[in-house]
Amino acid sequence: MKKTLEVMGMVCPFPLVEAKEAIKDIQSGDELEVQFDCTQGTESIPRWAAEAGHEVTAYEQLGEAAWTITIKKK
Amino acid sequence: MIQMILTGLLCGALLGFVMQRGRFCLTGGFRDMFLTKDNRMFYALLIAIAIQSIGVYTLIHVGVFEFNAGTLPIIAVIIGSFIFGIGIIFAGGCATGTWYRAGEGLIGSWIALAGYMLMAAVMKSGVLLPLDTAVKEVQLENNSIAATLGVNIWILVGIFGLAVGFIVYRTLRKPKVKIPGLKPKRTGLAHILFEKRWHPFVTAILVGLIAILAWPLSVATGRISGLGITTPSANILQYLVTGELSFINWGVFLVLGIFLGSLFAAKMSGEFRFRLPDLRTTIHSFSGGLMMGFGAALAGGCSIGNGLVMTAMMTWQGWISLAFMILGTWTASYFVYVRPRKKAKQTTHAVPA
Repeated sequence: MKKTLEVMGMVCPFPLVEAKEAIKDIQSGDELEVQFDCTQGTESIPRWAAEAGHEVTAYEQLGEAAWTITIKKK
Repeated sequence: MIQMILTGLLCGALLGFVMQRGRFCLTGGFRDMFLTKDNRMFYALLIAIAIQSIGVYTLIHVGVFEFNAGTLPIIAVIIGSFIFGIGIIFAGGCATGTWYRAGEGLIGSWIALAGYMLMAAVMKSGVLLPLDTAVKEVQLENNSIAATLGVNIWILVGIFGLAVGFIVYRTLRKPKVKIPGLKPKRTGLAHILFEKRWHPFVTAILVGLIAILAWPLSVATGRISGLGITTPSANILQYLVTGELSFINWGVFLVLGIFLGSLFAAKMSGEFRFRLPDLRTTIHSFSGGLMMGFGAALAGGCSIGNGLVMTAMMTWQGWISLAFMILGTWTASYFVYVRPRKKAKQTTHAVPA
C-alpha cells in the first residue's frame, strides 16, 4: 500500500508537519510518498525519517525545485 | 562608490550562496528547539558567533578599527526582539532568510520583504519615528558585558569559545543516523557546491568567516559595522522614495548581494522556481514582514545584526535580543503549529463514533 501526500506550494515547516501526521494513518510496512517543493524540506524530511527509524525507499528531484521522497513506515 | 558596490555585493553574494546551499535558517532553528527539542541550528549559530568574535576582536586588537558598544536601550531591545521573533515565524524566515528565499523564487518571501522594508522605514524615518525614539529613551549606560563585569574582553571571548568548542565536541560525538540523500548527478567541485548536503556546522564556520570579512570591508567605506540587514533594507526603500543618495551605504549592497548570491546558488542547483503561496500563507507572510520590520527597527537589529553580530561583540544588546527573539519564535510556534493541531484532535474526538 502506498499513500501519496502532495504538499507542493507549502512552505516550511508545513510539508514536514503534514508528513508526520500522514504517516500516523498508514500501517507499518506501508509507504508514504511526499511530493514537495520547499528547499529546506530536502534536509528536514529525510532527517526526520532517518531519526524516526523509517526507511527511505526512494528520493528524487523531479525538476526545478521539486522533489519526491518515499518513506516506508517502520 | 565603486568599491562600496563591489565589496558589498561580493560579501552579500558569498553569504547568500552559503546560506542557500547550507539551508542556514535561524527561524527554523529557533522553532525546532521548541517543537522537536532539536538544538542543532542553535549550536551552529553559536559556532558562527564564536568564530566572528575571535576574528573581529583580533582585528580590533591589532588596530584595524575601533569599536564602541555604546548604551543599551533595554526596553526597546526586549519588546522589539520579542515581536521580531513572532514575526519571523509568520513570515517563514528571518530577515536574511527572507532575502535568500526571495532569491529562490518564493513570492511569499518577496511579500514578506515588502512588509519588512516598509515597516522598518516607517520606524526609522516615518510616522512611527517618535514612538521608536521614545521607547529607546530608556537606556542603561553599559552595553558592553566586559565593561559591566569589569573584565578584559578576551576573557569573555575565551570562555565563550571554549564553551562552544565543548558543545561541538559533545554533539559530534553522539552516534549519528545516516541521512538519506539524493543520488549524486555531478562530481568534483560542482557536486560540493551545487548538490552535496552541507553539515550545519560547516555552514556555520563559513558564515562566521564571512561575518569577520564584512567588518574591514564595511569599515573601508566608512560604515563602522559588520553584517546588518534591517537598516540597509529600510535604506533601499528610503532611497527609492526620496532619491537621497545619503541612504546608500555598504549595507545596501550587502543585502542586494544576499539576494543575488542565493539566486545564483539556487539556479545552479536546480532549486529556483517562482512559487506562489496560497492566500493564508500570503497574509501570514505580509503580517510577519510588518512585525519583523517593527521589531527589528525597535530592537536595533534582527537575528543577524543583534543575534549574530552584537552577540559576537559581547554586548548585552546582542544576548538579551537573542533570548527574547527565541522566546518570540516559541510563542508564535505554539499558536501557529501546536494549538491548531490540538484543536483539530479535540474536534475529531468529540464526534461520536
